[in-house]
Amino acid sequence: MAATAQVVSKPKPGMHSRRIRQSFLSRTLPFWLLLPSLLVLAVIQFYPGFYSIFLSTQDYQGGTMKYVGLQNFSKVIGSSSFTDSVWLTLMFLLGYAILTLSVSFTVALFLNRKLRLSGLYLTVIFIPWVLSDIIAGLVFRLFVVPDYGLLAPVFASPLFGSPDGISLLTTPPPSPLTEAIPFPPAPAMFLLIFAAAWKAVPFITLLILAALQTVPREVLESASIDGANGIASFRFITFPLVVPTLVVAMFNLTLGGINGVGMVFSLTNGGPGTATEVLSFLLYTLGFGQLEFGRAAALSVLMTVINLVLIALALRMSHSDSEGYKF
Amino acid sequence: MSSIKKLLFAGTTLSIVLLAACGGTSPTAAPVATSAPAATAAPKAAEATKPADKPAAGAKQITVWYQFDEKNTDPKYDERDSAAWLRKTLPLFNTEMAGKYTLVNQPQAFDKMGLLVVQAVQGGGEIPDVMTSASGGLSGLLKNGTLTDLTDWIKAQSWFATLDPNSVAACTGPDGKIYCVPTVSSPILVYYWVDYFPGGFPKTTDELVKVAADLKAKKVSALTYFGSTDFGGNAVGRYFYTAVASFGGKFDDGKGQMKLNTPENIAALTWMRDVAVKGYNPETVFAGKFQEEESFKDASAAAFPTGLFGYRYVNPLTSPKGTKYETKTSKDMIDAINAGEVKLASFPAGPGKTSGCGTDYGTLIIPKGAKNLEGAQAYINWLMDPKQNAEYVFGPGGGIPTSSATAKDPLFSTSFYKQGIAATTGLCTTWYGSLTNTPDAAKIIATAIYNIIKGDVKSDIATVLTKAETEYNKANQ
Repeated sequence: MAATAQVVSKPKPGMHSRRIRQSFLSRTLPFWLLLPSLLVLAVIQFYPGFYSIFLSTQDYQGGTMKYVGLQNFSKVIGSSSFTDSVWLTLMFLLGYAILTLSVSFTVALFLNRKLRLSGLYLTVIFIPWVLSDIIAGLVFRLFVVPDYGLLAPVFASPLFGSPDGISLLTTPPPSPLTEAIPFPPAPAMFLLIFAAAWKAVPFITLLILAALQTVPREVLESASIDGANGIASFRFITFPLVVPTLVVAMFNLTLGGINGVGMVFSLTNGGPGTATEVLSFLLYTLGFGQLEFGRAAALSVLMTVINLVLIALALRMSHSDSEGYKF
Repeated sequence: MSSIKKLLFAGTTLSIVLLAACGGTSPTAAPVATSAPAATAAPKAAEATKPADKPAAGAKQITVWYQFDEKNTDPKYDERDSAAWLRKTLPLFNTEMAGKYTLVNQPQAFDKMGLLVVQAVQGGGEIPDVMTSASGGLSGLLKNGTLTDLTDWIKAQSWFATLDPNSVAACTGPDGKIYCVPTVSSPILVYYWVDYFPGGFPKTTDELVKVAADLKAKKVSALTYFGSTDFGGNAVGRYFYTAVASFGGKFDDGKGQMKLNTPENIAALTWMRDVAVKGYNPETVFAGKFQEEESFKDASAAAFPTGLFGYRYVNPLTSPKGTKYETKTSKDMIDAINAGEVKLASFPAGPGKTSGCGTDYGTLIIPKGAKNLEGAQAYINWLMDPKQNAEYVFGPGGGIPTSSATAKDPLFSTSFYKQGIAATTGLCTTWYGSLTNTPDAAKIIATAIYNIIKGDVKSDIATVLTKAETEYNKANQ
């Protein structure tokens, strides 16, 4: 028996190396499964990303690339269009995020109640989400084109400013409060914020609705038994439990808002003047309009840094999620 | 939040960041906008990506990029007249060159052509053998190394001696080499409804302002024009420069530097601001996307400074009397001119000055890396033949021939052309003069002028102009 056992336990020639190979394969299997996706990502995202960083240090002269160090960055940062654009982007993001979140939250609260036809409401509300930015922008534009737009006469009423009201597309911004900041914004900026929020509300509503539906009913019932009214239940139970989703939604909106160009392109084209020339649109015009690829690359790198800061903030806030929010 | 959620969130945001980093910067990786904003853009631009029609056996293919599509027969197509010209001439060329060359058009949106060819040349894409470009757009192409030097070849052609020297100068780079073939001059002049100007169109800006006040009382705008900052500052080459030149102004110092803060420019901009502030133009002029045309079409505006080519796009028309020109083709404007309801005039001159006129040249270029250089040259030669050239200039060119031989064609003896030539001869110059980075200059100047006449009408004109010229000169040392 003992001899037999010895024979059985003795590895056959080549078995050891096969085992090692199998163990290597099983250990590295996730890598091999991920490899195709990584290769695709490398080709369509990492390569152009790193090429952009390289391009930001180059200048084309007669088709020949010339290393210019950080000159493109200083040209971009030194231009008045960049500083204005940063402020305009900030204004757009604030307006867009606040409007979208508040409307979405309200709609989600409404849909969270057991209503008749709530499925239908949800479907209807979701329609803007399936439209492309370009189409949505064009439709909004058609509504407000001066003299010919369906809503143009409404805004041309003296109610919106005497004597001829305003034109959402062409009325310039009021005189800025300080020389450095283009504030208050032009009516076109409000239009842009409204149109962008209209487009984003459905998705954010769905996110918040999903979060609201995870709030345990027992907790709310207990609070009610303990004498908490609707406002107190909302403030101390529902809202804190939904905050992590709101944070995710806010950063989703912010990142999408910074990088999105379609709505600006079709609705205002950066105008009137440069009143809605947000960073993404400035990037588009520098690269695709003016064929200044070096400067556009420098701007895209700067935008990447802004994006990374926002991501770091988002991760930090989502980390603090596990430790609880304090209000 | 669970770690999986965090991971997903971080992954999504990282993807967005990377897309931001690569989107719009790399000419080789840049996505092509799927929706062109231009009213004139070819709606079937996507077809350009389809494989080209196969050339006949033994014949070499010549690929051309036009902003119109001969396969698009939609009567509402903005470029229907140009498409009709190509439908007619493409088989003509292919028959004449049977067995040798086959011409294939790959239509592209007019405001994306430059970008697309740069992408093709730098990124190793499919390069056309020949394509159109406005002379104002050449500097961007030259900077990005997209143009073939045509100097020796063009000088050896029989038609070269017939070309207007100004048009050749517009095709000449800062290095003295010729990079394009000028085919057509596109001057800016004024289309006006005759009924609103019983005493004839004003000769001076002062007279125009007087008439404008009377017209405003009748709820008619005196002028409609492209006054937005849309299309990368395209307004600069239209009304903006024409009005400034009519006060003796210009945008450069003749040595490659931008020079805006001059007494002539300030006088012009003061007048232009006055026109805008007093409401002598409709609000649509600042709306972009060529919205300003509507006011001339329905005669709610009396005059329209635009390119001579405007007749192709501004239709249908309803005259002040109510006459309707409704074929919805370029025929409408020509019919209105023949009926004497619309006339063409030079832009009014500023005090003590002569009328100014901006112009740009329609040109043909051969991109670097074109596969069929000989074929491209053969096609250009064919197009420069006076008969073909006349039809090209009259059709898609929509301007005045650069070749004196072509100008003799009876097509240019019509009332429309006689008026157009009389209104512009000897007056026109390019807005960019010696400026070498025209895309940058166009955006900066258009924004400055917009801010002066509309954005902030209380701003100090000299200060705005100085700031703009400093910005350009600093960025383009």
